[in-house]
Amino acid sequence: MSTASAPDPRVEVVAHPTSVPASPRTAGSRRRRVWWPSAGTVRGGLLGGIATASGMALTATSGWLIVRASQQPVILTLLTAIVMVRAFGMARPVFRYWERLTSHDAALEMLAERRTSAYEALVPLTPARLGRRRRSDVLTGVVDDLTDVVDAQVRVTVPVISTAVAGGIAIALTLVLSRPVGLVMLGLGVAVCLISLLATRLESRSLPELLAARAEVTRVSELMASQSGELRAVGGWATALGWLDEAHSALDRVTRRISAGRAAAASLFLVAVGAAVAATAVIAQDLAVSTPVKALLVLTPVAVSEAITPLVDAMRALARARGSERRIDALLDLAPAVADEPRHAAAEPGHAPDDTSGTRPEHTAYARSGVTTRALTASWMGERTDLGPTDLDVPAGSRIAVTGPNGSGKSTLLAVLARHLDPSGGTYRLGGTDVLRQPLEETRARIAVVDDETHVFATSLRNNLTLARPDADNADVERALRAAGLTTLLEGLPDGLDTTLGSTGRGLSGGERARLGIARAHVSGRPVVLLDEPVAHLDPPTARAVVEDLTRLGRAPGTTGVAGTDAPAQTIIMVTHRDDGADLFDRVLEVRRPPSGTMSPTTADPVPHSGDRTHEADPPRR
Amino acid sequence: MKPFDPRLLRAVPAARRPVGVLAATGIASGVTTIATAFALSAVVVAVVEGTDLASPLTWLLGLFVVRAFLAATTERVAAWAGVSVSSALRAALLRRWGTVDADARLEPGAAVSLATAGTAAVEPYAARFLPTLVTAAVVPVLAIATLVVVDWPSALVVALTLPLLPVFAALIGKATAESTERRWAALASLSGHFLDVVRGLPTLVTYGRAHRQAMTVREVSDRHRRATMETLRIAFLSSAALELLATISVAIVAVTVGLRLSHGSMALGAGLVAILLAPEAYWPVRRVGAEYHAAADGAVALDAVLGQLDPTPARAESPSTPAPNAAFGAELTDRTARSRPNAAFGGAAPGSGRVGEVRVAGLTYAYAGSPAPVVRDLDLVAGPGLTVVTGPSGVGKSTLLDLLAGLRRPGAGTVEAPPSHYVTQRPFLSTGSVRQALTIGHPATDDQLWEALRAVGVDGVVAALPGGLSADLGDDGFGLSAGQRQRLALARAWLAPETLLLLDEPTAHLDPEGAEHVAALVAELAERRVVVAVTHRDELLAHADHHLVLAAADATSLEVITEATSPSTSPRTAGEEGDR
Repeated sequence: MSTASAPDPRVEVVAHPTSVPASPRTAGSRRRRVWWPSAGTVRGGLLGGIATASGMALTATSGWLIVRASQQPVILTLLTAIVMVRAFGMARPVFRYWERLTSHDAALEMLAERRTSAYEALVPLTPARLGRRRRSDVLTGVVDDLTDVVDAQVRVTVPVISTAVAGGIAIALTLVLSRPVGLVMLGLGVAVCLISLLATRLESRSLPELLAARAEVTRVSELMASQSGELRAVGGWATALGWLDEAHSALDRVTRRISAGRAAAASLFLVAVGAAVAATAVIAQDLAVSTPVKALLVLTPVAVSEAITPLVDAMRALARARGSERRIDALLDLAPAVADEPRHAAAEPGHAPDDTSGTRPEHTAYARSGVTTRALTASWMGERTDLGPTDLDVPAGSRIAVTGPNGSGKSTLLAVLARHLDPSGGTYRLGGTDVLRQPLEETRARIAVVDDETHVFATSLRNNLTLARPDADNADVERALRAAGLTTLLEGLPDGLDTTLGSTGRGLSGGERARLGIARAHVSGRPVVLLDEPVAHLDPPTARAVVEDLTRLGRAPGTTGVAGTDAPAQTIIMVTHRDDGADLFDRVLEVRRPPSGTMSPTTADPVPHSGDRTHEADPPRR
Repeated sequence: MKPFDPRLLRAVPAARRPVGVLAATGIASGVTTIATAFALSAVVVAVVEGTDLASPLTWLLGLFVVRAFLAATTERVAAWAGVSVSSALRAALLRRWGTVDADARLEPGAAVSLATAGTAAVEPYAARFLPTLVTAAVVPVLAIATLVVVDWPSALVVALTLPLLPVFAALIGKATAESTERRWAALASLSGHFLDVVRGLPTLVTYGRAHRQAMTVREVSDRHRRATMETLRIAFLSSAALELLATISVAIVAVTVGLRLSHGSMALGAGLVAILLAPEAYWPVRRVGAEYHAAADGAVALDAVLGQLDPTPARAESPSTPAPNAAFGAELTDRTARSRPNAAFGGAAPGSGRVGEVRVAGLTYAYAGSPAPVVRDLDLVAGPGLTVVTGPSGVGKSTLLDLLAGLRRPGAGTVEAPPSHYVTQRPFLSTGSVRQALTIGHPATDDQLWEALRAVGVDGVVAALPGGLSADLGDDGFGLSAGQRQRLALARAWLAPETLLLLDEPTAHLDPEGAEHVAALVAELAERRVVVAVTHRDELLAHADHHLVLAAADATSLEVITEATSPSTSPRTAGEEGDR
């Protein structure tokens, strides 16, 4: 389990709107402390305790043996001790090996469980509760956090149990041999507990700052790595280097501060051990026990220090895991942005469910894909209105571009249309059906969504497309690839459709990824395709080329029909920040920002753009 | 993987101090560890023999205090060294990328991941592995050297058995290399699966496949567990074997010491020191093995970063002989420049410095990995005034501006241009305030900012934002349309002191009225500077002093030469420059 990766996205999860109502899942029953051991971890801890105790016994009995030998006894009298030393020497690595196998197996078992349950909890929150942008970073943060949380079992729980077991044995044995020395050992144990608590406290205190500092370093270096040309072009490179230096020195400061906790623990442990050795030596000198036992007693606190040292790292891992657990909970406890039951009493009669992902699309479905909204409003957090009352009429088979300034609500509109976010008011009809009265899955099955970060799964090109419609055959897949402008890619692939893509296979360029997302939507055959700034990260010429191919989807000869005829096609609504290629759409709508706090129907309607824009609004082609 | 790459210290001088301090604390800790063995055995001897305890105990306590101090220092230095080394690497990497050709940089995704996760992976390498390495290099040597003095037979045993550890580790590694490699490959794909599925969750939800994947997640996680355990078993087994080997070696020392003690041929104190010191020789070596895997990621990343920092020519030479058919040519129509000697302008602006002109000769440029140059054998002289570059898309207009701005280096030919301010197609606007965005290159007062905003016609928009100049432009910031952002970028250009202004499609996001306004503004800017603008729209051409058409060489019919109808052909006077 790796420990360090760029931890930046995790902060974004913390920054999630707190005003979103939490789901009933928050009920305390599920809450368990992050270090709470599973059965396997307890087993691991006990085995580790035996290993640690063997190590301590090895040091102590060796001391006894040496001192006894120096008294020049008959060799035979040493045999028992020699056998014991050997046994402890062998036991330590054997039990350590056993402990590591047991505790790692238990942790991996737990990881499997936690991953499955976290995955299931994420599904209803996807995508609306993952933030508006950079969702894959948020999701990566969840994966890393889960690893950290489970890591706590191996890095915290097992060492703590081991130390407790070995320490307990040491205290018990010394109490038997000499009460005062046993009390010294008990005192050492108490001191170790207090020091550990202090270290965790210090570490946890600065952890959020550390994550924030790391996030800032990541943000600045990401900016500089991806936009160095733009920065240099405007003479901003020196300024950006200044930001980097600032971020680095902030990180340096907080690292120094957070390491203070660990440093204090490491040094206080040694001071405590030193004090214990001194106290034991003074006590032992006048004890009425044999000299070899005196040596054993003096060496015991030294041997214990071997068991204490791992606690420094354990406390650090504990603080880290707690932070991760909090972030995961904060995200998974959010209430879904859409209710999964029809909003009103019953579904409208007379509307059979449309095709779902599993069936071949019928052109009749395309004909019933017009989108109509009346006074549609929406809000992400329940306080601010993100989408003012919106009337929208998108005829079936038309291609609409939606533009507008930042924060005008165009992405919110798309989220509502995609049924990712429940509207706060108004009506939304798709193909004449009031979708708010329809089961969620039924509506979603009619809509394909393409966002600005198309995910390429680590599987074959074919599987990457057929996940949108499992019964699609090779011809469908190839047609979709051609329609999305990926002919060159397909021809260049060594194994054609069987070529593995994604993290373990061939990488795709930004443009190819955007096109893959579009091909996926096309292969799905779903009547409505919604695109949320699919070309936002592409350079302008590529962006325009992608949009050109997009607007021809289903219109090119040999696909859905002959160009210029009435052949039905997918309805396409694309939200775009810039208007690259917006002129290629049937209509361009501009969403205006609602005045903050209030909703005024006069300002928030998307209007067919007029002289405000560079192109005329054409009547929708039918 | 190399345990330590000395290139680090050469390429990143800032890493020298942390690494040096780490080595120093490592050596100091080693010395006190050995001293502690002496003090401890003296204490034990005093307790056993009932002699004076005060003196050895004072020594021991003193040493524990020193060790406590060193332990705290080691923790702090390690944390600091980790952050310093990775920050220094990151800074060096980004600084380097700030100077190299646009084509010589890594592809953006790889660049971002190397600059963030890559350099961060070096942190545990520097914070944990390097100290371990120092300890392993110092402590065993010190321990053996001390043993030679105290009890040479023990030193001999340790010196003979210690090398067995790395040899044994190498043998285990070799014997299991094949199966380990096979397992790692399987493991990588299994452990990547969850991340892949989770990152793709939005897609899976869209296409109704998310719930079906839950079972797969469970199943693959279980397979991952089994595969990981197989790999771990070997790793744990080999580390247990090494520990056993070390224990046996220490036992040999103990047995020889014990025998000599029982024969009375050795003093108790020396015997105790020998058995306390012997383990100190072994554990640092074992710890290197344990930390080795944890540090491997960091070492790989370090190698990648150092590769980027290598001062070898990052850009391959441009193809010397371009394929004739794929070649592009350029034609310059420059009427006004010939009729207006540039020297006159240099003298016409006293106090504001010479207005440098752009001179390009025989310029050829090909993208990395592309056989055909996108710009071939281009000659251009752009003096004061507005030079407009047009041409079909993909003909290299933006690349030409990159070359003039120095963001790309010519494959052949020369570019002489003064420092420029370049408004790219997607200009950089920071996520901070409007003020920050406008002053990123050069400081300016609020009055100057308002003047610039007025000039580009967005002063009203900015004034209406909550906070005005302090309004946040971030992703969740206040609403500015693409056109308004474009104008902000032009306002920044208006403020820039550079005498050469490069504009890539400055009117792209604007409505006809706005475009006309911006075109007039560009013409005004061209009165005191050299302005080169790329456009596919007409507004700017109306104001152009010079017009360059870039066209495909094999399609000469495409060359359309527009009459430049410049409204600003009269020589500018010094007075007009005075308002800056």
